[in-house]
Amino acid sequence: MSHQTDQSPSTAGTDPSRVQQVLGAMGETLEDGEVPIEILNNEDVYQEELKRIFGQVWVYIGHESEVPEPGDYRQRTIGEDPFIFVHGEDGDHYVLFNSCRHRGANVCRAEKGNTTHFRCPYHGWTYDNTGELTGVPQKAAGFDHLEADEYGLHEVPRVEAYNGLVFASMNADAPPLEEYLGGATWFLDMYFNLIDMEVIGDPHRWEVENDWKTPTENFSGDNYHIPMGHKSAIDAGVGSDTATGEKESELYGIADCDGHSFSFYQIESDEPTYWGHPPEVVEEFNHNDVTDNQHEVARKSGVTLGNIFPNLSFIFLGGRDDPEKESVGTFLLRKWEPRGPGKMEVVNWVLAPKDASKEYKERVYEVGMANFSPSGNFEVDDVGIWYGIDDAAGSVFAQKQNVRTLFTMGRGENPDATVAQDWVGPGTAYRNGGMTDENQLDFYRKWYKTMANEEVN
Amino acid sequence: MSSDTVADRELRAKCEEFLFHTAELLDNRKLSEWHNLLTEDITYRVPIRTTRERANQAEFSDQSFHMKEDWGTLKVRTERMNNDFAWSEDPPSRTRRHVNNVRIIENDGAEVELKNNLLIFRQQGDETEPDILSMERQDTLRRTEEGFKLADRRVYLDHTIIPTNTLSIIL
Repeated sequence: MSHQTDQSPSTAGTDPSRVQQVLGAMGETLEDGEVPIEILNNEDVYQEELKRIFGQVWVYIGHESEVPEPGDYRQRTIGEDPFIFVHGEDGDHYVLFNSCRHRGANVCRAEKGNTTHFRCPYHGWTYDNTGELTGVPQKAAGFDHLEADEYGLHEVPRVEAYNGLVFASMNADAPPLEEYLGGATWFLDMYFNLIDMEVIGDPHRWEVENDWKTPTENFSGDNYHIPMGHKSAIDAGVGSDTATGEKESELYGIADCDGHSFSFYQIESDEPTYWGHPPEVVEEFNHNDVTDNQHEVARKSGVTLGNIFPNLSFIFLGGRDDPEKESVGTFLLRKWEPRGPGKMEVVNWVLAPKDASKEYKERVYEVGMANFSPSGNFEVDDVGIWYGIDDAAGSVFAQKQNVRTLFTMGRGENPDATVAQDWVGPGTAYRNGGMTDENQLDFYRKWYKTMANEEVN
Repeated sequence: MSSDTVADRELRAKCEEFLFHTAELLDNRKLSEWHNLLTEDITYRVPIRTTRERANQAEFSDQSFHMKEDWGTLKVRTERMNNDFAWSEDPPSRTRRHVNNVRIIENDGAEVELKNNLLIFRQQGDETEPDILSMERQDTLRRTEEGFKLADRRVYLDHTIIPTNTLSIIL
């Protein structure tokens, strides 16, 4: 590393031409279902990802229920960049760059709180909670030339919400959020129109020695790993009824959905499932606010999961934290934050039906945490099975031999996974969806197009 | 601070003995033996911590937790960790719990409330950089016919972002 002293400052230590080489190699094998492992731990690729992906597309910021009152704020990142997600006095949600316009210091230093103003500790410049510059000490004496309304905190050019989920894009020319979400809106409408959900408390945050794309490809539809990877949790009896085999289900793997991918475990039964929510909770759902097709899919849903490109995953499951206790429905949103090549921070939110009883919401939280969190009975083994991917990906051998990971499941002559003609939602649904990689490969197709700038949005 | 009597020192030594013994059980992965030293009505909580302004005292959440356990869920966790397919702990992490600064808060005869500091050194595989977890624990030990048992534990972490891959160890 240290011998490369002739790099220009803007690309210090990185080599964009190396990225073009990697993308070139990826383009040659992607449709054969093979992906260079190197992209999971490569400094050059990582630096370009921050610009070409996180600096371009719509990235999840937070849920409106995390900042319910005017003045409520949370610190959030896009890629590695620091922003303040704030509910302004005027009722709008803002995503403000956490850096004073004067000399760059953080104007917000707490992770969350409620404030009318952010005041820079350096020279005291003060901004209201919509980002407007409202105070400059000794302005008349030294800054009488400064037009305050031109020096508010920088805002991310585009901020839009969909069903309470707030996203931001650094690209002023990005398409509308709804267009970017594409087929994903069908699923988001099904969840959030049917159930008024809110985030409980503060998210889990922890650091993991893996690239952000490793869990992302997994949540895009790796249902193949569950019997092996999660055997310890399934044996303990804390999984969903479909994972423990208590209930038979049909798994639909949804591909071809604008770069977003989903998996739906559907339980065919006269008894409605609704992700394990009990009848008294289901009764409160907004049953008339979804289409008949959405309602039918929801009624039969055991576990559903997916990923919204680039790094927002979710899992909605009925489960428990103790086989002696009743199953509840718990919804987890998770963001895999890039924190360096082969490194990430996981941010994990638990959501519960807003109108359910306090006791039920506590159970939803407990079950979510017990299965998916730094201590989660399922999650710890996910991280446990990914050990070493970063080392292999960052190896000289992988570069020299062009080592690739495989997404070719279901491409034989008689695949178990077949296209379900009767699927009522968007995209292409594969029945026996655990036996196809098409939904996971879609994540890399979208990643590749975005990195290769064939598609800027 | 009140004067330290012989009885105080003896009580503290007895409590330390329990804390050291349970730390040794966890370091040696004797999880069911550890679980046997919990009361059946135990509450065990590790609240999430956030960075707040100094004026705001509420750093620890009362709604969100890294662990929020009872006897049954801790049984599930310890049994799961002993399963042959518990990948996060196979090969197991090497842990060393350093328990110190034991302070007795209250002793009503039936139970002893105390605080202690805990530093966990954790390494896995051929890592050379250890993960260090630092925390204060507020524990309630109950006297039973079989000696002390843990009846309540609150773990107050010195971390907002957990600096280790998994919490597949007991704190």
